[in-house]
Amino acid sequence: MVQKMISKEKISDLIKELQKEFKVFGPVKEEGVVLFKEITDAKEICLDYSNSKIPAKSVLFPMIDTLFSYKKEEKGVKIIENPPYEKTVILGIRPCDSMGFSLFKIFFSFGKYKDPLILNRLENITLIGMGCLEPRTTCFCTSVNGGPFNKESVDVLITEFKDNYYLESSTDKGEALIKKIKSLTDADKGDLAKIEKLQKDIESAIPVIKGLDSIHTKLDGLFDNPMWQLDAQGCLGCGACTYLCPTCHCFDVLDENKQDGSGRRIRIWDTCQFPLFTLETSGHNPRTTKLPRVRQRIYHKFNYYPKNYNIIGCVGCGRCIINCPVGSDIRNIFMSVENSSSKTEG
Amino acid sequence: MVRKIIDDIEKSIRETAKKLLEEGKVDLIIGYTKGSIPLRSGPCFITDASKTDMLVWNQSCDLNLAKYLAKNDDRKIGIISKGCVGRAIVHLIVEKQLNRENITIIGIPCEGVLNRAKIMVEIGDKEIIEADIEDDKIIIKGKDFNKTLPLQDYINQLCITCHYKIPPISDIILGNKKPEKPLKDDFKDLNEIESKSSKDKIEYFKKELNRCIRCYACREACPMCYCTLCFIDQNKPVWFGKTADISDNFIFHMIRAFHVAGRCVSCGACSSVCPMGIDLNFITRKLEKIVKERFDFESGISLEVLPPMGTHKFDDKQEFMIEED
Repeated sequence: MVQKMISKEKISDLIKELQKEFKVFGPVKEEGVVLFKEITDAKEICLDYSNSKIPAKSVLFPMIDTLFSYKKEEKGVKIIENPPYEKTVILGIRPCDSMGFSLFKIFFSFGKYKDPLILNRLENITLIGMGCLEPRTTCFCTSVNGGPFNKESVDVLITEFKDNYYLESSTDKGEALIKKIKSLTDADKGDLAKIEKLQKDIESAIPVIKGLDSIHTKLDGLFDNPMWQLDAQGCLGCGACTYLCPTCHCFDVLDENKQDGSGRRIRIWDTCQFPLFTLETSGHNPRTTKLPRVRQRIYHKFNYYPKNYNIIGCVGCGRCIINCPVGSDIRNIFMSVENSSSKTEG
Repeated sequence: MVRKIIDDIEKSIRETAKKLLEEGKVDLIIGYTKGSIPLRSGPCFITDASKTDMLVWNQSCDLNLAKYLAKNDDRKIGIISKGCVGRAIVHLIVEKQLNRENITIIGIPCEGVLNRAKIMVEIGDKEIIEADIEDDKIIIKGKDFNKTLPLQDYINQLCITCHYKIPPISDIILGNKKPEKPLKDDFKDLNEIESKSSKDKIEYFKKELNRCIRCYACREACPMCYCTLCFIDQNKPVWFGKTADISDNFIFHMIRAFHVAGRCVSCGACSSVCPMGIDLNFITRKLEKIVKERFDFESGISLEVLPPMGTHKFDDKQEFMIEED
């Protein structure tokens, strides 16, 4: 572990130094909305933000992702591979979003078939996370194995303290990176103890939702419980909760053909909340109504993830709560699960 | 004063809902309830007369509840209807999508809902922990800030130009406020965008629609989007692109707008629900104007008048189809 610091005013120097070797992505505010974009001008970065509207997963898993391009030739088709993925730094990612990256890694490398595109990007991405000084009231990261200063899934964690940013490496990749950045100085030892206390105070102030560690076993008996009807009746069936979720990774693959015989195969975001998602070629659709779709989102994250990968598929960022057009709150679903399962047991 | 009117309406909504359920006149009440974050509300479905206190009425009630009605629903439903909810119900009846006899329209006067996206831009990514609406002010509290905003500036633009504050048809009307005479709509609010050059217009559209993530919240919240299979979901063969690329986004929003032309009831739900804060009202408002000027028609006002897209007259103006410029 290496601890360094930089004055807030000099963050541009840090970015400029990083840009020499990496493509740098960071939070940028556009039309009042914070999104992760490539930083071309160091001044664009907006580190004073609560969390981005779209999770930083959009860097790893863009809304439109070209798998390869092609061109029809006299004999056959020529496949044009993507250019190699450039070394990338994501600066200012929140610990919850970076935990989403860890889940992507598990998902896309699980079993027999690996996703080379995502895994290659993960190899080439360095995460410089930014601790949360002001978690929102909708945050519940500490209930799902995370925390506002969680270092597990970042390479370097930044904590803002007074006029400085303190950087702490948590992986070899992160350590190697911050050791060579000239604009960083050694951390002020006197502040480090205060920072640790600050981090602990902020973390312990986040309300803990009880029972999430065993939610998967409770869900086992609730598949046909009437509670899902209550959640489904108000749901509009849009994709806001899943598209803005740092762990949702479902996609559709399609070909875009141009008239000149060239084209590309792309994957775009898709979601279990849409009826077409499960429509089979035969015409059969196993999830024709909203109820099974609403239930699927919860079961995938809180039952199938724990069973398949021994981890909860939610990072507690609260985006699904903030952005749901009908004010649905996943924490109420947790409560229904608790209540319904205790009733079932009793 | 405004606050008191709203609170009184809320009280009578609860009482009326309770009475209707107790007397067995309805099986279900559809109304609004508090969302879990400030300035957000949600739909509420009540079958138990003891639970009507969940119902609320305030300026965050921005959904169009007519979305939750369906032709094949046999239940007797009482629905809390502000003007645009009532208009949507009327128009859906005209389009033969609802059974009038199953629906009890509980009309309430509405002075407009908040434009949450505009508030969020003003607050700038800070979390709103508490929000209160006093007469002409929105009082917002965050962790380390307090802000007071003038209510009038943050009312949805469509609500400002709306001239049907109460449903055109109601079975019960709540609130003492007598309906004002409909104002003459001059569509002045469109002047700014209409005066832009084609190039500037397209830039504006691009700027707005670029943010679209294709979650279809707009479509799902729209009471007029009831197609079993939306044109955008046609996949045998594919009709239009589904990517979030600007050209695909543009096509989706424009064609959806064509499909609601002469049907849109200007409720603004499409904009209110957009997680990306895209103002889609600029499209629907223009459509409203075209339909009004060309066909002298307003949707959801009368059960007798057929909408222009549902009828044909030999003297229908059609110069726009052959117009060249």
